[in-house]
Parts: sequence; C-alpha cells; structure tokens
Amino acid sequence: MGRAVYGGGSPPFLTPPTAPQPLISRNYKGDVGLGEIEHFMGLLLQREEEGALAPLLTHGKVHFLWIKHANLYLVATTKKNSNASLVYSFLYKVVEVFCEYFKELEEESIRDNFVIVYELLDELMDFGFPQTTDSKILQEYITQESNKLETGKSRVPTTVTNAVSWRSEGIKYKKNEVFIDVIESVNLLVSANGSVLLSEVVGTIKLKVFLSGMPELRLGLNDRVLFELTGRGKNKSVELEDVKFHQCVRLSRFDNDRTISFIPPDGDFELMSYRLNTQPLIWIESVIEKFSHSRVEIMVKAKGQFKKQSVANGVEIAVPVPSDADSPKFKTSVGSARYLPERNVVIWTIKSFPGGKEHLMRAHFGLPSVEKEEEEGRPPISVCFEIPYFTVSGIQVRYMKIIEKSGYQALPWVRYITQSGDYQLRTS
Amino acid sequence: MPYLGGEEALRELRRALANPHVQADRLRYRAAVLRVIRMPGIQEYLQQPLLSGLRDKASYVRRAAVLGCAKMLKLQGDCEVDGALVNELYSLLRDRDPIVVVNCLRALEEILKKEGGVVINKPIAHHLLNRMADLDQWGKSEVLTFLLRYRPRSEEELFDILNLLDGYLKSSSPSVVMAATKLFLVLAKEYPHVQADVLVRVKGPLLSACTSESRELCFTALCHVRQILGSLPGHFSSHYKKFFCSYSEPHYIKCQKMEVLCELVNDENVQQVLEELKGYCTDVSVELAQGAIFAIGNIARTYTEQCVGLLTELLGLQQEHITSAVVQAFRDLVWLCPQCTDAVCRALPGCEDAIQDSEGKQALIWLLGAHGEKVPNAPYVLEDFVENVKSEMFQAVKMELLTALVRLFLSRPAECQDMLGRLLHYCIEEEMDMAVRDRGLFYYRLLQSGVEVVKRVLCSPKSDPSLGLLEDQTERPVNTWASEFNTLAPVYGRERWALITAHQPVEPSYACSPCTDSRNRDTESLISEGNKEVLKVHPDTGSLTLIPDVYLTAEQFEKTWLSLDMSCHLSLPWCGTVHPDTIQTALHVVHIQTIAMSKAGVQPWKAYLSAQDDTGCLFLTELLLEAADPEMQVSVKQSEAKPEALQAFISVLRTVMGAAAGLGS
Repeated sequence: MGRAVYGGGSPPFLTPPTAPQPLISRNYKGDVGLGEIEHFMGLLLQREEEGALAPLLTHGKVHFLWIKHANLYLVATTKKNSNASLVYSFLYKVVEVFCEYFKELEEESIRDNFVIVYELLDELMDFGFPQTTDSKILQEYITQESNKLETGKSRVPTTVTNAVSWRSEGIKYKKNEVFIDVIESVNLLVSANGSVLLSEVVGTIKLKVFLSGMPELRLGLNDRVLFELTGRGKNKSVELEDVKFHQCVRLSRFDNDRTISFIPPDGDFELMSYRLNTQPLIWIESVIEKFSHSRVEIMVKAKGQFKKQSVANGVEIAVPVPSDADSPKFKTSVGSARYLPERNVVIWTIKSFPGGKEHLMRAHFGLPSVEKEEEEGRPPISVCFEIPYFTVSGIQVRYMKIIEKSGYQALPWVRYITQSGDYQLRTS
Repeated sequence: MPYLGGEEALRELRRALANPHVQADRLRYRAAVLRVIRMPGIQEYLQQPLLSGLRDKASYVRRAAVLGCAKMLKLQGDCEVDGALVNELYSLLRDRDPIVVVNCLRALEEILKKEGGVVINKPIAHHLLNRMADLDQWGKSEVLTFLLRYRPRSEEELFDILNLLDGYLKSSSPSVVMAATKLFLVLAKEYPHVQADVLVRVKGPLLSACTSESRELCFTALCHVRQILGSLPGHFSSHYKKFFCSYSEPHYIKCQKMEVLCELVNDENVQQVLEELKGYCTDVSVELAQGAIFAIGNIARTYTEQCVGLLTELLGLQQEHITSAVVQAFRDLVWLCPQCTDAVCRALPGCEDAIQDSEGKQALIWLLGAHGEKVPNAPYVLEDFVENVKSEMFQAVKMELLTALVRLFLSRPAECQDMLGRLLHYCIEEEMDMAVRDRGLFYYRLLQSGVEVVKRVLCSPKSDPSLGLLEDQTERPVNTWASEFNTLAPVYGRERWALITAHQPVEPSYACSPCTDSRNRDTESLISEGNKEVLKVHPDTGSLTLIPDVYLTAEQFEKTWLSLDMSCHLSLPWCGTVHPDTIQTALHVVHIQTIAMSKAGVQPWKAYLSAQDDTGCLFLTELLLEAADPEMQVSVKQSEAKPEALQAFISVLRTVMGAAAGLGS
C-alpha cells in the first residue's frame, strides 16, 4: 500500500443529500484538507445522474473510497495511490465494530454516541494506519460508560499486550462449552430458459466459545484429503474448495497434516469457510402470462430436490408481479400466498416442505385498461428457506478436542443448517 | 480527553505531560499522544515522553509512541531527522508486539520519506517474513507491500521466500490475497512460469472475491480480474458463468462484469456469453442495455457473424436507445471488420425512424454516406434528414450529414444531386452555426474544383482492419502491470488513471519496486532519433554532448525514473525566490528538457529534468527546494553507469543553475 494507507485518511460519516456537512469526521494524517469531503456528496449525485457511479470517486488529487450502510456513507479520503481492497475492508470493519457496539449503525446511533464513536475511531486507526480492530478486544477497554478511560486508575487491557492478540488471559466460565454451527448457504442463478448459471454452496463454520483460560482446540472434519492421507477411503468424506481460516488457525499444521488446530478468540467468530458446487435444492418452474390491459396469470411449481428425510422450513417464494396489478386471487396446493404491493411481489409461504415433494401455486391479477408508460424491469423469482440438520456438502464434525492446562472438561455442541443465500431464478 | 480546545485545558495538559511520572498513567499518556499531539504549543512537552514511550512496558503505549514519533516529525517539518531515533525505531522492528512492528515500518517510512523510505535489507526482510503469521490482516497486507522493496540475493532465497508466503495467496482477507499476489508477481518477474502459476493459484480467491458480499470489494476484484485477462485472455474462460450479472447488483458491477465477459470469450463459451448479454440488451436501464450492445459489438470483432445476426435481431424491437446503440456498434464494426459490411447494410433500412439521439444519428448517417451504394434506400433516408435539417438540434449531425451526402453523391450522383444542392444552399445561406456553414462552403468550393478532386479528398479507405489488431493487442506481459497491481490504477482503469495522474507532477514514489536493474536494462534509447544536429554544450564538459530537441513524455520519465537507482545527490547553494521561466530557458539552452516544474512560489518547489547524450545515456534529474532552505537538493539518475559522463553532466547543471540563480535575483 505504498507509503501510507489513507494519506489523509478519514472515514467521515455523512447523511445523504439533506446534509452536505459530514455527520462526523476524523482527520488522521492531515494531508487531505477537511473541506475536501464537502465535494463528495455533489460528486456522488452527479455521477449517479450520469449513470457512472463507482465506489471510487476523485476530486482534484483526492480519492474518495466509499461504502454505504443504511442511510450513511462511510468515506475514506486519500491522496496516495493506496490499496483499494484494504481500504474497503477497513471501512467494512468499522461498520462491523460499530454494529457490535450500537446494535445498529445509523445516523441516530452515531448522534447518540458521539464520544464513544470518536474514541473508537481513534482506536481503530492512528495516523492513517489500522490499529486494533477486533471488537472483542476493543470492548475490553472502550466501554459504553466512556469516562472509565479517563479515570487514570483503569486497568491496563491485557489483550493489547498479549502474544495471542485475539484472546485475553484470565477468562473464566463456570461451564465450559463450545457451540459449533455449520452453516451452508446456497447461491443459485437460473436463466429464464431454465439453465443453471450458478449453483454453489458457501459453507462457514462458526464457533461460539465459552471456555476458560487459554484452551487449545482441534477440530476433526470428514475432509477428503485427510481421509486419503490416513488411508481411510473416500466415502463419507467431502472435498472442500477454497478453504479459508480465521487468523487463529495454524496454517502450517493444516498444510502439513490437515489438522485444524487453534487457540480460539472468546465468544463468536467464524472459524473457516469453504465453497463447492452443487445441484439446486429447491427447483422452481414458473409461467407468468401477461395479457395486456386485462390480467396476469401466474403458475409456479416448486420441487424439493433434497433428501426425503430432510425438511425445508420457512420457505418463502417471492414472485414478481407488475406494479399496476390489482385484485389478486390465489390458489395453492400447500401453504399460503399474499400480495405485497409495496414490493410488487407475491409471497408464497410454505412452513414445512419435505424433500422430494412438489407443490403448486396459481395467482391471478387484474391489470388496468390504461397501460403504464414506463417500462419495468424483469426481477427474478427469489427463494428463502432453511433446512436444519442437513448440509449439502455432507460435511461432518467428527470431533472437537479441547485441551487446557487446568484440565477441565468441556462440551462441544454441533448444529448443522443449510439455508438460502442469493437464490434467484430469472423470469422471462 | 479528546479534542480539548480551551486555554485552561491546554495548561492542564502541559502540566500533566511535564510530570516525570506521566508514564505511570499510561492511558492518559496514550490519549495525549494519540489525540492532542496536533495542538499547537504542545509539541515540545511531548518529545521526552514520546521517547520514553518507545521503551514502555505496555505494548499499547509503544504502539502509540512509535506513530507519535512520525507525527511529531511531520509537524516539525523542516527539522533534521534524529539518527538515534531512527536507530531506535529500527531496533523496535524486533518488538514482541506485532502491531508495534508494523507501526515501526510505517513510522520509518514516513520519517525517511526523503531518503526513499524504510530500508528493507536481508535481516529485516527475513525477520518480517518470520513474523508474518502473528500479524493481523492490515499488518500482513502492509508488510507484503514493504517486502516489494527487497530483492533476494539468489534464486534459492527467492524461492524460499515464495514458499514461505504461499499460504497468503489463499488468505481469507482479500487485501492480503491481493498484496501477496503482487509481491509474487514482482519478485518472480524473471520467472514467467512462476507468475503464471501464481495467477492460477489465486484464481479461486479472486473469484470468490468477485462474488463477495461487499460490492466494493467485488468491484475491486473484478477490476483486477480484467487486468489479469489483459495478459492471459483465457485465464477465467471456464468460469465465465461467475461473471453473469444478478438482478440486484449495482450498475458499476454489471458494467465491469460485461467487460470481463467480453475479454474471456472463446470458442467454447461464446454462445452462452452472447445469450446472456442478449438478455441484458433489453434491460430497463438504458445505460446497461447500451453497454451490453457495445459489448456484443466488441465481441463481434472476433465472432462477427453471430454477433451481427444478434444485433440485427435487436433492431426488430424498434426501441429508440437499442437501435441507436446497435447502429453505433455497426459503425465501429465495419471500420474494423469490412467483411460484415454487406450484412450491416442489409440491416440498416428502417433504423432511421427509431433513432433520436445525436450519437445514433451520426452513426447512421456515416454508414449511409460511406456504404450508401449498398443500401438501396440510402438517398431517401438522407433526403429525410435534409428535409428536416432546419429543425435538427445537433451540430455534429449536420456536419456528418454534409460529409455523408457529398460522399454518396460521388457513388450515386443522379439521386443525390438535387438534395445536395438544397443542403448546401441551406448551410451557406441560412445556417446560424458557423462551423456548419464553413463546412458547407468548403464542400461547395471543393465541388467547384471538379469531381476528381472531391474523390481524391473524400474517398479515403472505408475500413481499417489493422486498427482492430492494434486495439486488441491484449496479451501484454504481466510485468507491465505487476507494479501497479493492487493500487488504485486498475480500479480506475488504465485510461482514467492516466487522465487523473496526468496533471500531477511526477511523484517519485519509492513504494513501487524498481522494475529493472539499470545494468541489464534494454539499451534501446527511449528518445527517438530525431534531430541529429548536436552541439557542444560546454567547453569544460569534455566528452559530454547533449542532443537537442529530444522529447520524453511524463510517463516515460516516471517509468524510467522509478526503474533507476540514484546515481548522485548534491546540493547547490540557492537564495531568494525561483524564477521557473528563467531556469527553463537556461536549461533549454544546454539541451536539458524540463518535464515538469512547480510554479514560482510553490513550497516545496520541484522540477524534473531529462537529457540524453550522444551515446543514448539518459540523465534524469530532480530539483527540490524546501521552504527557506539555503540549498537546492539535486538528485540525478543515469540510465547507464558512466561516472565520467555523470560528472560532466553535473558540472553543466551546476553552471546553468548558477547562471539562472544569478539572473533571477
């Protein structure tokens, strides 16, 4: 990233068009003038109008790298030829930290917490360089009662001095437990003529750690490479692609013998992620017939293409309808359908959808005789669902070993779940 | 105690900092260093606490103190860099705390800016490599960037380093992946197979960044994918489906994806890619639809027949913006691929009714003028334009119409004569726009001098297939962009970046690694052999002869400057103000070209100069005058190591600058 990260680096927050002045700003290095940010909003709107908006804007010598969260823009400014992915990652980190502090990050939560927001900004970055960004560690010494910092007697945050930067010493729990969530989310993109353009699973293993001391953890998976290494046949093992780990995992050991060993941070964190290709789990066939000036007929067929023993819960199929449609009528073989005029969709809800089953919904809408002028896009059908106790990949946690020098017994709990990610089927 | 402003608070703070036991209160100390350091009048009280902060037991104090040193020196500006402090910071690179280590690098980089930043020698490089595992994602990305500066001594060492860093190519943080990729590409610049291998290995991480939940990271990754495709066109071909747009994606991502699709298209996927792009052509967003049409137009350079068929089909929709974009795509296409002219001409009739915008009209009129002999109703379409010329709003359309009609007149005189007369009459007698009127007069007089002359002037080639080859010179070597990988340059795109940086003075950024060693550099001269007239510049210079009227562009200069090591550094006495014009003239006399020069009175004042001698050796010079400094800093880089010539060049420079100083004051 060259000589400095955010040359003048300041992620100021500002509210959209009404207020050209930033809501809050912090100038870390002083090489970008404070006034520069005032050009941002105008530039953004101008680009938006031209249809040439990009997450990177420039005014004179100043580059604005921005992201949007709720009604806020987070903007980093720099004059240097910086590393864009680092800047964006940092801005997202800021959002993450603020969300953990204030539950929601929006104009109001910033206004209510000015003091703590400034303190956090100072901890996250110094002189334009990211510093401590782990919210667990930050929470140890920046607390909601912010005056604590200034008392002078306050305790020295041990984590900031530890060799293991992500975990403090002296953590104590009465009951030592680890909760392991294996979550697989399915992304699907199907073209209007029914061919699958993208169908993949992004898996994550999330841990919730309530363990005392400095425990050493080892996670065993039915990893195909490991099974081959140990000569245990291929069946019941899964092949993982693109595996990524939390920084606590010792990568060298994984590379050597595929062991996943680590000292975990306290509380929630994502241990690893992987991805693989798959077949679509819920298949949708749809016919949307539009008879101009009179009516729209919609027929949607949904099919569960997963194991019969598993059940998808809370299935919601959102089917787009024209914005000027009226007088809806529905017929469903199972579940219920309702019309959401504000989103221009029909939502077909099926509480429980076992694998191998097929269901049907028909909808009928009236159309006004006077047609709307402007053209409408063709939004896709999107599907939400959740299949508990099931993973598409077949990944299994074979064991979780927990070793701590005090020798306590700890219980690992495992939960599997498959859910929809970006699950879209285009309509013609 | 953030942001206190009052006098009283300041006094209180001074008292606190003056207290020798300030260290006892670490958090307060830290707060002071972090936050109030920029307040005027506080710095002198901070110096001592800062230095003792470097040796504090608590790492969070050391972290703040290390960066505090850089802040302090930045604030003091002109002050001499304290060698002891620099040494102390270098030794802190061995600190236990990973953030202290990275902060030291950052601070040293800032403090030693003028000397080219922090030095990464072998022990430091190896130490950093060993500490990599402890760093957080920010630290990792930054250390990987600092390591760009290190040049391994042997092949063995190089490969050891690459092996050590291999894991970071698959890191979960996209910024680490990008930084590691760049380091690999730069370090392995002499091993194309290693580079190719690295690009294969980062395919997965890059693809997953392209489908990242964060739109901005996704956008950045897509821009870098395009960069890679520029060198390895087939690289992502089998993953083309990953670049299909999803409904809810923002416009900028969809555009990038379409560009990527254009670049990775090959025999196997062309059908599917075109099918997908066709879907976008009817999108409600006009920009997106037109973008998709232009994308198909691009692909048509290779897969002409299929694409022309598809584009012709789109004309059937009779949509204004679609027809306009298709006709523009056609115009650009026939110029590059003359073989499709007939098909295009067959598709044209009927388009005129649907086109309303200036760009589309111009394209249609151009096609009718240039290829009118193949479009039966061309004269009638142009006649409609002539009829309505009074109400035509766009100047460019009228100009295009004039040219097209004169051209068509040459191939179909009988049908065009009458209306050409009417058009010329209108343009000369009634038109209010002077440019159009002049163009009309020009054609009128040209026609007066006879058809043969008109033909000579207007019947230029109607296509230029070689241009397509030039433009499609895609397979640029990896090394041409390796040094700008993971910077803003690929994110802006080549052209925009050049535009943004064009008006800025050449910044000798030491962050980029020197790409070529001066000794193995291609001996090819950067300056074209133009004027052979040479002039002895100075009686004392002996062997040195500088060639006059050589011309180096700012980009060439910057590239060469970055690739060379410093040959010589000296200070010239200087007092008073600078008169850039005087200096420039004086330098011109001795055949030293001024590449860029600050205006008078700018602080610090800088200038970049270049000269070449008769053997082809380049001398690149930076002049730097800090505010109120009695000496001007001169840095010279030489493209070939010739100490004698260098001495001669410096003596010339000394003389000229001496003279300019004398004239100026």
